[in-house]
Amino acid sequence: MWSLGRPDAPSDDPLLIVDDRVTGATKDVLAAGVALGMPRREAEAMAPFATVLIRDQGEESRRFEPVVEAIEALIPRVEVVSPGLVFVPISGAVRFYGGEVVLAELVEKEMARLVGQVRCGLALVGVADGPFAARWAAITADAGRPNIVDDTIGFISRLDLAALRESLNADELIDTFRWLGVSTLGDLARLPREALATRFGNPGLLAHRLASGEDRLVDSREIPADLAVDASFEEPLESLDAVAFAARALAERLLRGLRAAGVAPHRVSILAEAAEGAPRERIWRSADPFTEKALSDRVWWQLRAWVEAGGVPGGISRLRIAPADLSDEGRQLGLLQDETSIVEAERALARAQALLGPEGVLQGRAQGGRMPQERVAWSRWGEPSVEEERESSAPWPGTTPSPSPALVPPRLQPLEVEWDGGMPTRLRLGTRWEPVLTWSGPWRLSGRWWAGEQDADRYQLVTSVGAFLCVVSEGRAFLAGVYD
Amino acid sequence: MPDRGVSLGIGTVASLLDQERREEGYLHLQPGRVTELLGVPGTGLTRLGLRLLATPSLTGPVVALDTRRWISPEAAWETGVIPENLIIVRCDQPQIWSKVTAALLEGVRALYAEVPVGAKEQDLRRLAALARARKVAVAMRPMGNGLPSGVAHLRLRALGVTWEGADQGHGQLRKRRLVLEASGKGAAGVTRRFEVEDEGSHVVRVVSHVVPGEARRAVG
Repeated sequence: MWSLGRPDAPSDDPLLIVDDRVTGATKDVLAAGVALGMPRREAEAMAPFATVLIRDQGEESRRFEPVVEAIEALIPRVEVVSPGLVFVPISGAVRFYGGEVVLAELVEKEMARLVGQVRCGLALVGVADGPFAARWAAITADAGRPNIVDDTIGFISRLDLAALRESLNADELIDTFRWLGVSTLGDLARLPREALATRFGNPGLLAHRLASGEDRLVDSREIPADLAVDASFEEPLESLDAVAFAARALAERLLRGLRAAGVAPHRVSILAEAAEGAPRERIWRSADPFTEKALSDRVWWQLRAWVEAGGVPGGISRLRIAPADLSDEGRQLGLLQDETSIVEAERALARAQALLGPEGVLQGRAQGGRMPQERVAWSRWGEPSVEEERESSAPWPGTTPSPSPALVPPRLQPLEVEWDGGMPTRLRLGTRWEPVLTWSGPWRLSGRWWAGEQDADRYQLVTSVGAFLCVVSEGRAFLAGVYD
Repeated sequence: MPDRGVSLGIGTVASLLDQERREEGYLHLQPGRVTELLGVPGTGLTRLGLRLLATPSLTGPVVALDTRRWISPEAAWETGVIPENLIIVRCDQPQIWSKVTAALLEGVRALYAEVPVGAKEQDLRRLAALARARKVAVAMRPMGNGLPSGVAHLRLRALGVTWEGADQGHGQLRKRRLVLEASGKGAAGVTRRFEVEDEGSHVVRVVSHVVPGEARRAVG
């Protein structure tokens, strides 16, 4: 709903907010069959009448900030997960306010006041042990009535297996569990943990922990103070550009330090000191360890929200990011891989891509085919690999033998070859003719006759300046590769 | 006297092994150094340049900068480059080639770069300095004349190539023998000729010392 109330959204039109999937939709769009999380194309096809807007999480954070502040006025240490979802540890506040029910109703009332002004506004409050259970308590709550769960284990055990989808991000694993006859988290919790860990590794173990009401384990080691990073600015930062740059640089520094220590943060505290006012602090939480991009995005959203709302009068004079809840769950590297070199290389490639365009930086993947041109599936670097057009595991009789030519033109190039009695004698390279010293072939290449392709013959021609792969079709010769 | 004969034999083998080890060292990129691959197209230098990326690709991404849009990753995979770690950057605009190369040198650990005809000497010197500063292992393959003196630490010039396996319509290309000449500081100021054998698989190896080059001072 935070995405639906954005200022540039037409107030009465049906709305569909997307990134690559649906992240928000008005009731009339949902009634057409669109569901949150559905792929964008599918949703657009189902609701062609809707106005489609691209999600802007920075803007959502800005508008969500008053809600966080209102909760923080009641209970300290609010942890933001994303615009629209916060966790609040309430053990201290329960004693202060005199019970969970009183506290939950207080929060609910305050939220209803704030959220009621937002289009499609709805505030759901849930109370349970741990973030995973509390989130599902809120999701299953009715508007205006907080869902206070007394028996967390019992509540979790009744949840459908789909409740794990977001925390695990492993649809295949959930499908496998279903195929094995497991349909609720209670069924899953009853399975032996060791067996799940052995069969499914870390994701299986995590699923069992969540299903058993244990939530994600984080490292309880004390965090050395020097892992926190800060930066002071003689000239307080007031422009959003300067804030964005500082946010990115500081997030990079923090993660670099943590990587060296072999840990990754699940929670960070962002503190901004204002030149003419009190410091502001906010905690952000993530189920998965923060990546560099995820962390810089969140720091940027938070600072943008504060700056645009006038929360840091006189500009930001000091920034500090401190990690909390560390775990060793990071990117799994190979034995010899070096994380620093990978991150630096990714930055360099992103810069090259900015200069050349997305088609300038590519990665190849092996696929099936008989000609060198066919045997590589190209995809843009940084994007998901394209599906292989030709199955690489299928037999490809008549494949051009290895070694492969190191230079392969994207399309066959005309080549002048002289023949004598069916044997190649010389070929033209630029302005000069080179005698063919020896040759092999022909290997017949049968074309897709139903698509109008002709049969062709392949030859390997060796000259004093190198060897060439040549294709002859309908009496004309073409260059298919250079063994350079 | 038999003892003397034995010791002489050992000495000869040891010196041959030393020489072979040194020549094999030419086929490995060194961090912060530029290796120049000089020769006409068809002599096998593209494959050799891609082969030089095999070892660095074990630890992180490596890049082949392709100015002709013809480089095939399949040849690189055959020489041992880890497919997931090979990125091909295609840059057929000579006016931005140096910018793109500099951007890559800022972050990657190993680079095979084709150098377009007309690349400015000043740019090439800056790029070599950047490679030294960032400790990037670089192989450069000039498409025109060689690199200006002082840019490359080691120059490998292709003198000739012979193929085995194809025989007037029979067989198929199997093995290539490439005669190379090493010179420059990386060859200790001595011009050396040696031969490498490429069987189309993972292995590219030094097979013999064809002609000992005469000793002279390194250029640059």
